Amino acid sequence: MGTLEIIFTSILYISLLIHIVLMSVAFYRVWRGENVIDRLLGLDLLSTLTLAVLVLLSLISQQVIYVDVSLGLAALGFVGMIALAKYVADEQMF
Amino acid sequence: METIFQLIAILAVVVGTLFSVVGVVGFIRLPDVYTRLHATGKVGVFGVVLLLFAAVVGQPLGWGRGLVLISLLMITGPATAHALGSAAHRIGLPRQGAVRDDLVHASKSKS
Repeated sequence: MGTLEIIFTSILYISLLIHIVLMSVAFYRVWRGENVIDRLLGLDLLSTLTLAVLVLLSLISQQVIYVDVSLGLAALGFVGMIALAKYVADEQMF
Repeated sequence: METIFQLIAILAVVVGTLFSVVGVVGFIRLPDVYTRLHATGKVGVFGVVLLLFAAVVGQPLGWGRGLVLISLLMITGPATAHALGSAAHRIGLPRQGAVRDDLVHASKSKS
């Protein structure tokens, strides 16, 4: 537990705080969006920032299980966003 | 060697957080759906990938799982951005300051 370790941990906590603030900003844009694509874009951004928060939690607590959760979250977010974009464009899912 | 890896991880975390901040600021400030799409692509491709690189170089994650997640993000990020931009053009959202539209026939020809 040297000095570099302490600097790394504090930088991780500061980065986690910044990412949570960015998530709240993206959530506000989903809530008060201009149009539907804007809200979908905010939802995609929220999903990506959740991924970043999970990777940061894995770095803080030194456990790999958060990265597995983020793998599933990335796959589900990708499929859901493609389906929602096609639904908005064509007004039908299939 | 441990110290060098730790320094690389610190640098990757700082640069990734900076990319995320730049992406979200662009998402707030830019005037148009398409330019906002351009800004939020930075968060998916650079921010999270650099954080994952830090997680690989610093302790917890192995190379295999990290490379799987990095390649998944690098494939799905542009695909999602393309789908959202195509949907925005399909439902006819306005563009600000656009000079010409290259897809003006493509939206009518295919279903």
